[in-house]
Amino acid sequence: MPRNRKATVVALISTAAILLGFWLIIRTIGQPTGKPLNTLAPFGQQAQDIQNLTIPVFAVAGVIFVLVMVAVIWMVVRFRAPDDAVEGEHEPAQTHGNTPLEIGWTIVPAVILAVLAVLNVQTLLRLDDTGENPLEVTVAGQQWWWEYRYDLDGDQTPEIVTATQMVMPAGRDVTVKIQSNDVIHSFWIPSLNGKKDAVPGRTHELVFNSDNPGIYEGQCTEFCGLSHGVMRMQVKVLPPAEYDVWIREMTKAPAQPTSAAASRGEALFVGQCARCHEVNGLTPDSTPPFTYSDEPSPDYGVEVDSSLSSKNAPNLTNFMMRQTFAGNLLALWEGDAATAVVAVPGQVPGATPDKVNIKRWLRNPQDVKPMDAENNQGMPNLNLSEDQIDDLTEYLVTLGPSTRPAA
Amino acid sequence: MAITEERPPLELTSGDLPPLEVETLGVFHRPRATHGWASWFTTVDHKKIGIMYGFASFFFLLVGGFEAILIRTQLAVPGNKLLSADLYNQVFTMHGVTMVFLVVMPLAAAFANYLLPLQIGARDVAFPRMNALSLWVWLLGAIFFNTSWFLGGGADGGWFNYAPNSGVVFSPSHGIDFYAVGLLIMGIGSTVSAVNLTVTVLNMRAPGMTLMRMPVFTWMTFIVQVLLVFALPVITVALILLTADRMFGATFFDASAGGDPFLWEHLFWIFGHPEVYIMILPSFGIASEVIPTFSRKPIFGYPFMVGSGIAIGFMGWGVWAHHMFASGMGPISVLAFSLATMFIAVPTGVKILNWMATMYGGRIRFTTAMLFSVGLVAMFTIGGLSGVTHAFAPMDTQQTDTYYIVAHFHYVLFGGALFGLFSGMYFWWPKIFGYFLNEKLGKWHFWLMILGFNLTFGPMHILGLQGMMRRTYTYTEGQGFNGWNLVATIGAYLIAVSILVFMWNVIRSYRQHRANPVNPGPDPWDARSLEWMVPSPTPEHNFDEVPVVEDFDEFWHRKYGHDEQGRPVRIAATEDVVQKGDATDVHLPSPSYWPLVLAAGLPLIGYGLIFNLWWALPGAILLIAGIYGWVLEPSTDPSAGHGHDDDHHHDGDDGDAAALEEPSGDEADTASGDEAGEGAGVASADEPEPAMASASADAEDGGSK
Ligand code: HEM
Ligand SMILES: [Cu+2]
Ligand SMILES: [Cu+2]
Repeated sequence: MPRNRKATVVALISTAAILLGFWLIIRTIGQPTGKPLNTLAPFGQQAQDIQNLTIPVFAVAGVIFVLVMVAVIWMVVRFRAPDDAVEGEHEPAQTHGNTPLEIGWTIVPAVILAVLAVLNVQTLLRLDDTGENPLEVTVAGQQWWWEYRYDLDGDQTPEIVTATQMVMPAGRDVTVKIQSNDVIHSFWIPSLNGKKDAVPGRTHELVFNSDNPGIYEGQCTEFCGLSHGVMRMQVKVLPPAEYDVWIREMTKAPAQPTSAAASRGEALFVGQCARCHEVNGLTPDSTPPFTYSDEPSPDYGVEVDSSLSSKNAPNLTNFMMRQTFAGNLLALWEGDAATAVVAVPGQVPGATPDKVNIKRWLRNPQDVKPMDAENNQGMPNLNLSEDQIDDLTEYLVTLGPSTRPAA
Repeated sequence: MAITEERPPLELTSGDLPPLEVETLGVFHRPRATHGWASWFTTVDHKKIGIMYGFASFFFLLVGGFEAILIRTQLAVPGNKLLSADLYNQVFTMHGVTMVFLVVMPLAAAFANYLLPLQIGARDVAFPRMNALSLWVWLLGAIFFNTSWFLGGGADGGWFNYAPNSGVVFSPSHGIDFYAVGLLIMGIGSTVSAVNLTVTVLNMRAPGMTLMRMPVFTWMTFIVQVLLVFALPVITVALILLTADRMFGATFFDASAGGDPFLWEHLFWIFGHPEVYIMILPSFGIASEVIPTFSRKPIFGYPFMVGSGIAIGFMGWGVWAHHMFASGMGPISVLAFSLATMFIAVPTGVKILNWMATMYGGRIRFTTAMLFSVGLVAMFTIGGLSGVTHAFAPMDTQQTDTYYIVAHFHYVLFGGALFGLFSGMYFWWPKIFGYFLNEKLGKWHFWLMILGFNLTFGPMHILGLQGMMRRTYTYTEGQGFNGWNLVATIGAYLIAVSILVFMWNVIRSYRQHRANPVNPGPDPWDARSLEWMVPSPTPEHNFDEVPVVEDFDEFWHRKYGHDEQGRPVRIAATEDVVQKGDATDVHLPSPSYWPLVLAAGLPLIGYGLIFNLWWALPGAILLIAGIYGWVLEPSTDPSAGHGHDDDHHHDGDDGDAAALEEPSGDEADTASGDEAGEGAGVASADEPEPAMASASADAEDGGSK
C-alpha cells in the first residue's frame, strides 16, 4: 500500500476509535444515579450555568484533541523512514519554518479562546449574582464536620444551629456564608454549585438556587487533615411548604424524656457529652429556650486558641430531624426515612431510628472515622459500657419533634 | 552553511606532563583523584555531577514510585484498610514533594549539567566548585527530608501544605518541619545551580555561539534557570515564615492573631506555577533535540520555539491564582487570572504544532528516544487541553481538588516532563556512558509505560468529573468510584513493571558492553548539536579544541550542505569533523573537598532546628570550615599548572583568530586560564591577557575550569 493511503486508513480507523470511546463515555457520564457527586448532573441554577459553559468548552477541546491525535498518528505512519532508507536518497527537505503559517497557528487558537472567554466572563458574573432577598445560612467548617446556623430574624443570633445536613427551600436564592473554625476546608455540593473554601478569618459567599427538591451530597474538598477524605455533608432542598414545617419544628424545644432509660441517658449526656455538645436548654449555661451560645466557655481551649481549635461539637438539639450523622457517614434512620425528601423524617411511615448506627458511633467513634481527640480534633472514645450506650441511645432518639415515633 | 575546509585544521598539542611535585599552597592542597570512587566526592566536573544528579534522582523516582504504588493499592477498592488515614496523608504528601523536588527537577538538572556546557561549546560551567556544592546541598537536603520517615513520620500537609493545617496545632509531628527545612536546604542548592548555569549560558559560549544559535534544549534550560532565580526566593520566604510559625511561635498564618492563611497560598503558588514550567520546559527542550534528529529535519520555526518558551516563562508569572479559583479571593481577581490562564495555552499550543511540523515531511526513525518524544507530544496535548478546561474559573470550581486535576497534572508532569526525560536518557545514554541502551527492551519500556500511564491517569478524568475528591484516603461503596479506581491501580502496576524493564535494560546493556565493548562513536544518531562532536563517553576536557560556531545546528552543518531543493547532501564524513578526544594538555579545574564539607553542615543545622539547637553547632562548624577551606585552598593543584602555559601560548602563537577575537576570553580561560583567574587575587604574571568577561567566574572559582 502506498504510504499516503496507509496513513489515511490508519488515521480514519483511529478517528473512529476515538469517537467511539468518546461516545461510550459521554453516554453515561452525565448520569446522576449511583454517582451522588457527579459534577455533570446539575440540579440547581448555578450548577446549570456552569454546565452550560462546560459543554461548549469540552466540545472545542474534544475537537482539538481529535485533530491533534489523528494528525500525529497520520504523520507517524506517513513519514516513518522505510527500513531500506539510505543516506543521501530521498532525504527530507530541510524546511526551517514558515512564519505566516506559524503566526496563523498562534492567532487562530487565540481567537477561539477569545470567543470562549466571552462565555467565561458571562458565567462568572452570573455566578456572582446573589439574587433577590436571599435566605442566608452561615456554614462553618471544622475538623471534620460542617455546622449550619440560621439567623431567621436578622438579630445576629442564630435561631437554628444544626450540623451535617443543611436544609433549604426550593425556588429561592440561598446565600451560604462560609467560614472556618480551624483550618481551610471547602464547601462543595456539586449538584448545586461549584465549591468555595472555608478560610479562617474570612467569610465567603456561595449562592444556591434549586427548583428540584431532593437530597444532594457534598464533600469537603480542601485538604484539612486526618479525615478530610470522609468529611461529607448534604443539602436537602425542600418544597417551600415543607421548609416552613422544618423551620417550625427546628425552633421548638425537644420534650423531656419520659422513659427511665432515656432519663438515665439524659443524665449521662449532661455528665459526659455536654462538655462538647449542646442541647438547647439542657445544661445550666444554656437555659431554655434557644440561647445557643457559640462562645467557648472559660476553661475551654486553654492551650489552643479557640478560633483555631475544633473543640466545638455538633449541636444536637433536634438531632432526629436530621437523616444522617457522623459527618454524613452514618444514616440516622432506617429504610425510606433516611432518604425521604421531607421536613420531619420521623413522620415517614414506618420510620425507625437506626440505633445500630448510633450505638456503633458511641461505642468507638474512631471506628467510623479517624480522629485525634487527644489533639482536640474530633470526638474521643468515651469508653462507655454497653448499658450506658443503650441509655444514651434511648435519650438521643427523643431529640426531635414530639410527633416522633415511639422509641 | 559551514564549509569545513575553511576551518583552521585541528591542531592538538600533546604536552608532556611535568613530574609531580608535592607542594602545599594555602592550608590544604586540592585532591587529585580523577578516577575511582573517591573522585566522585570531590569532583567538580559538570559531567560527573550531572551523572550523580541523574542516579540520585532515579533512586528517588523509585522511592516516590513506591509511595505511588502504596497510594494506588490503598485506593484499588473502596474502604481499603491497607494504610491508615494518617499514614496515607504522609504518603501522598511525600510522594508529591519527592516527585517534584527530588525527581523531576534534579533529573532535569542532570541533563542541564551534563549537556549545557557541551551544547554551547564550553569546557565546564562557570563555577565548577559551586556546581559541586549545588549537587551536595540538594542531595543531602533530599536525604535529610526523607529521614523524617524514621524520625516521627513524614510531612502530612500535601505538597502545597496550606496553612493553618500546616501549623503545629494541627500537625504536631515533625514531618512538616522536615518539609520546611528540607525544602529550604534544597532551595539553596537550586539557587546556586540556577545562578551558575545562567552565568554559564551568558558568558561561556563558544566563539560564534550567539544566543539565537543555541540548541533549543539549552534555551529551555536557560529559561528555567532564570525562572528558578526568581521563583526560589518566593518559596524561601514562605518557608521561612512557616518555620517561624512552627518553631518560634510566630503567627504569620494564624487568622486569630492577625495573620492570614492566604499569605501562604499566594506565596506558594507564585512560586508553584512557575515551578510547573520549571519542570516541563527542560523536557520540551529534550523533545526539541530528539524530534529533529530522528526526523532528519531542523526544528521547525526555531525563533517561535524559543519565543514561545520565553513567552511561557514570562506569562507563567501572571497566572498563579488559577490554583485558587475556589479560594474565595473575589470575582475580579478570579476573572483576571482566568483570562490570563486561558491565553497561556497559546504559546504552549505553538510548541505542539511546531513539533508536528518538524515531523511533517521528515524521514522518521522510531528509536526509543523518538517514541518517548512523540509520546510526550501526544500526552502533553491531553494535559494541556484539560488545563485549558480548568482555566475557565466557573468550570474549575467543579473540577478543582478532584481527580480531574490529578489527571491533568500527571498528563503534563508524567506524560510530559518524565516522558521527555526518559527520551533524553535513551538519546544521550551512549554519549554519557559509551554504550547503547538496548532498543528492544527500550520499546518494551515505552509501550508498557504509555499503556500503564493512560490506564492509570486516563480514568482519573472520569473519576474527577464524577466527583471523586483529591487527597482522600478512601471512598465508599455507592459513590460510583469503584471500577475506574481498580483500572487505575492496575495501570500503576504496569508502570512499575515498565520501570523494572528500564532498570533491567540498563543492567543488561551494561553487562553486554562489558563483555563485548562496542563504542557507539561520537555521533550515533547522526545528530545536530555540538555534544555529538566529541567522543563517547565525553572526555574529561570535553573539547580538544573549542569549536567555532557559524550556524544553528552547527555540527549538522559541518556534515551536510544542501542541494537546490533544500535536501541534505554530505559534505564531510562524520569521522572527519568529530574530535578525537585525545588532547592531554588541557588544564582542568582541580577537584575540591570543600563543597561537600560545606553542604554537610546544612542538614546538621536542620536537625538542630528541629530537635535540639546544640546539634546545629557541628553543622555550623562544618559550614564555616567549608567556606574558609573553599576560600583558602589553592585555586589549583600546584603541580598541575604547567600544561597551561604551553596550551595558552600555543593558542596565541597559532594566531587562531577565533580565540583572540572571542569577546569574552572564555575560550582561552575555559581551555586553560587557571592562573588567570586566581580568585583570591593572586595576580598571574604569566597571563598575558586579562580575561575581563570571565573575571567574575574566575573570581569565584579560582579560574578552575
Ligand atoms: C496549557 C497549559 C496549562 C494550563 C492552561 C494549565 C492550567 C491549570 C490550572 C487552571 C490548574 C489549577 C487547577 C486546580 O487546582 O483547580 C492547574 C493545576 C496544575 N497544573 Fe496546570 N496548566 C497547564 C500546564 C501545566 C504544565 C505544563 C504543568 C507542569 C508541567 C502543569 C502542572 C500543574 C499542576 C502540578 C497542577 C496542580 C497543582 C496542585 O493543585 O497540586 N500544568 N493547571
Ligand atoms: Cu477537608
Ligand atoms: Cu498553575
